[in-house]
Amino acid sequence: MASTTTPRASLGRLAGPRVRIFEHEARLGYLLLIPALLLLLVFVAYPFLFGIWLSITNSQIGVNGHFVGLANFQFERGDSVFIQSFVNTIGYTGITTVFKLALGMVMALLLNQVFPAQRFVRAALLLPWIIPSVLSTLAWRWMFDPTFSVVNWVIIHSHLSATGVDWLGKTGTALTSLMIVNVWRGTPFYGIAFLAGLQTIPVDLYEAARVDGASRWQQFRRITVPMLRPVLLVVLLLSTILTFGDFTLPYVLTNGAPFNSTHVLSTWAFAIGVGGGYISIGAAISLVLFPLLSAIVFGVMVSLRRQE
Amino acid sequence: MGHTDPAWSRRDFLKTTGIAAAGLAAGPIIAACGGSPAANPTPATAGAIPKARAGAQIRLLQWVSFVPAADDEIRRQAKEFSDANNVQVTIETVTGDQLQPKTAAAVEAGSGPDIIQMQYGWPHLYDTACMDVTDLVNILKGKLGTVNQVNDAFCKANGKYLAVPYCQVPNAWTYRTDLWQQAGLTNFFSTWDELASNGKQLKSKNLPPIAVSLGHAYGDAITMWYPVLWDFGGREVSSDGKHVTINSKETLDAVNWAIDTWKSGAISQNTLSWLDPDNNQAYHSGLITGTLNGASIYIKEVYTTATNHKFAPVTNNAAMPKGRQGASTLNLIFNHAVMKWSSEAETAKAFLLYLMDQTNYTKWLNASVGYNAGPFKALSNADVFQQDAKLKPFLDVVGAGKWPGWPAQPSKATAQSQVQFVVVDMFAKAVTSGDAKSAISDAEQKLKRIYELPS
Amino acid sequence: MAASDVARPVRFRRSRRQVGERFRGRLFRVYIPVAIFTFITLFPFYWMAITSIKSNSELLDHTKNPLFVLEPNLQNYIDLFTRTNFIRWTINSAVVAVLSTSISLVCSVLAGYSLARLRYRGASAIGWGVFVTYLVPPTLLFLPMAYVIAQLHLFNNYLSLILTYPTFLIPFCTWLLMGYFRGIPRELEEAALVDGASRVQAMVRVVIPLALPGILSAGMFAFTLSWGEFLYALVFMNDTVVKTVPVGVVNELIKGDEFFWGELMAAALLGSVPVALLYSFFVDYFVAGMTAGAVKG
Repeated sequence: MASTTTPRASLGRLAGPRVRIFEHEARLGYLLLIPALLLLLVFVAYPFLFGIWLSITNSQIGVNGHFVGLANFQFERGDSVFIQSFVNTIGYTGITTVFKLALGMVMALLLNQVFPAQRFVRAALLLPWIIPSVLSTLAWRWMFDPTFSVVNWVIIHSHLSATGVDWLGKTGTALTSLMIVNVWRGTPFYGIAFLAGLQTIPVDLYEAARVDGASRWQQFRRITVPMLRPVLLVVLLLSTILTFGDFTLPYVLTNGAPFNSTHVLSTWAFAIGVGGGYISIGAAISLVLFPLLSAIVFGVMVSLRRQE
Repeated sequence: MGHTDPAWSRRDFLKTTGIAAAGLAAGPIIAACGGSPAANPTPATAGAIPKARAGAQIRLLQWVSFVPAADDEIRRQAKEFSDANNVQVTIETVTGDQLQPKTAAAVEAGSGPDIIQMQYGWPHLYDTACMDVTDLVNILKGKLGTVNQVNDAFCKANGKYLAVPYCQVPNAWTYRTDLWQQAGLTNFFSTWDELASNGKQLKSKNLPPIAVSLGHAYGDAITMWYPVLWDFGGREVSSDGKHVTINSKETLDAVNWAIDTWKSGAISQNTLSWLDPDNNQAYHSGLITGTLNGASIYIKEVYTTATNHKFAPVTNNAAMPKGRQGASTLNLIFNHAVMKWSSEAETAKAFLLYLMDQTNYTKWLNASVGYNAGPFKALSNADVFQQDAKLKPFLDVVGAGKWPGWPAQPSKATAQSQVQFVVVDMFAKAVTSGDAKSAISDAEQKLKRIYELPS
Repeated sequence: MAASDVARPVRFRRSRRQVGERFRGRLFRVYIPVAIFTFITLFPFYWMAITSIKSNSELLDHTKNPLFVLEPNLQNYIDLFTRTNFIRWTINSAVVAVLSTSISLVCSVLAGYSLARLRYRGASAIGWGVFVTYLVPPTLLFLPMAYVIAQLHLFNNYLSLILTYPTFLIPFCTWLLMGYFRGIPRELEEAALVDGASRVQAMVRVVIPLALPGILSAGMFAFTLSWGEFLYALVFMNDTVVKTVPVGVVNELIKGDEFFWGELMAAALLGSVPVALLYSFFVDYFVAGMTAGAVKG
């Protein structure tokens, strides 16, 4: 056993009795995976497969249906609310991601500097992400309340507008409200991840660049961004996936109002599936983005692989 | 779409996918198939009074009442019943919005509370999970008289009662008498056209407006706009529930009325995102003159020991107005269903019998201070309605009550249409865009899809 | 000039004017942006705090300036503690969060080590497979999951949450720890192996202790997400005494026709205190842990 490992570890592993080491590692490897895989199989894989099955049947809550192929998906193509939700979801995710990315980067660059009360500020800026989403969204709802909005109060009293804005009552402003709350909530995560990444970039690189006459912007583009690329991609990936499936925020803030125009796919699936009882259609709506997301994941995976 | 037992097919599914969820005991499946022999020793014979089984534990899931005292009373009665019969009855409460996902999850999972408070047409939506309680309802009919038509329509499916009628939450108008006077108005409006003119008068005197929700308010939006539609002669579907009839001249009249009323400022233009609490909030702050609601606004002003009794002396209530083609009301309807998976069905039924006992029920009605009304003839009047004349409108609206989807019978489709707020959205879209025709045809398209699902 | 300081600027003597200019530069580049960020981030919390100490009459009085409070009182907090089960809910949230975090960490440490360090067929596919579970939306999952929970007789039981929360905690924690493990030099493990330790012993005695910052980070992340989860807790937990904070607050402080904003905001603030405290002590570790994990991932 001890003789198989040599100081030249990597070479030894390839040159030595390969099969035995491989087996050892494989057995241990699989063994260590069992707890995680077991949990995920029972509580994700099975419900997921069941969900797929639901989407290709005509089941309702409590009533088992039979196979109908892609009829549910076809059916949804004629649903104007579905199409609106689809557009909303893509817009909601796309726009908030851009903002979170930019603001997160700015936040990271700032937090990387030295200033008084740094520790406090770092922890404080994480608060939006820490607080349970349900509760913070309720607070925002109160801030956007149709009758008592404090935001409107400020707007009216600083004479920017006479009547304030119907934040949650008009489609455009309601969608904007959703995005504002999402960006407020999600930027800290980007910020902390980027900060973590920034702190691993050796200062020497910046010094050398400055000596060479590079401007701050050039330093940013040529050093910071490439070094952050792995972090960037993973955070982007994770955040995009989670925002596509975001439920709590849109549900608590607007739940589709006004007149079902601010639904995202998850809330519309919930309304039809759980509220109306047509879970098969709800499942179909939930799954619509799956191919797209898989493609994105695959793309990022390939991109990260290439970098390695 | 057959009414196949959900548990059976799932067992097949599990077998074919070869996944054995740990602990997939036979017990729950058998129970879901219709009663575990161990827990139901003596099946009730037709007409026999259900009796509680000593040592049983049952759970009742309902929504949080707007009047806390009502919930306290029901919990007190549960304890009384528990002590008297050596059982344990637990009352669980969640908000109205959450009652549905929980019920759906329970039905889908085939397990959950023994009694679930079914709102609107849920017994039809979850008909495969609700036990046939025709016997129990017949017992109650014998004691308490006829059932209100709306509770009846919701509880009865295919000739069988799938839920026990429980109560109604009547919705009527609450308004500020002082502001009414200031506007120079003497009587409260009794027709929709009068609402429009009264509202305009309020506006001309720069007084706070009448306000009703145009958003997805679980109660307040539906109780307003369905009666508007009906009273102008509009109908969602035909009486047989097969043809979508919303695109009609009558509906156009209703929608045009709404557009005019909204544009002229006779009703507040700020209500597109209003949920149920919003009109209460606005009224208690003096920002609106009148609104349609359950008795909660009046109760809060007059009865609750809150710091805000500002408008108690100037608050009054009024019944629903009429239209050119009818006088309809829509109230919140609650019924209790005993679930098929319950292993203590007899105890559950006995408890429901206890709740509906005239003395107990009247105590609960009085504790609700007029917020709730009874569904049986003998339960339609409580002392509180006699003692406070201002609560009378809430009693008056019960008789003309209809249900979403009327004149068709409640069904899965009517439930779906209500949950998607199709009718309310039609009005909301029309008033914001000013285009009645496209809003109506949009609603028609949505209804067609609901009533004509792939199967 | 040795660039030995990572974060601090190199100091040398400057003229007064240069110091002033430098300060102005920092003012605009650092202090003011930080202040803006802090203000926007924290304003909602200020708003929650203000609302929670207002009485109901002041809250709904639209003639007053809502940004300040004229008659602060703690009635909402008192009501929260005496008339609701808030303390009970906090305990429930804590129990669920601690246990699901522990389970997730155990699973993730083992899985992360396996995927990062051991070589075997399918390792990288499984790695991505674990991550891919995030693609499945919770609105799709919760109904079938309710069925599984029902079959296991776990409704109303802490276990229903403790077993299901790891499903969205494990993937990210695994990824984070994988990155962290990769950053630990192999030589250290080799040394242990040469000394006669088995792979498992090497893992436990050498690698894991070195990965503690990463584990701490992953743990904080997991704790935060568990604490705030809503949908599963709503569906699986019924009795008020077992509800978690988000569910209890929303369930019992919104009674159909009335939002109890004062108590709601008080609960929102108090509901985030435990986790915020955790972060305030460990924020540097959190960042450090993510550093290695994030970059090497």
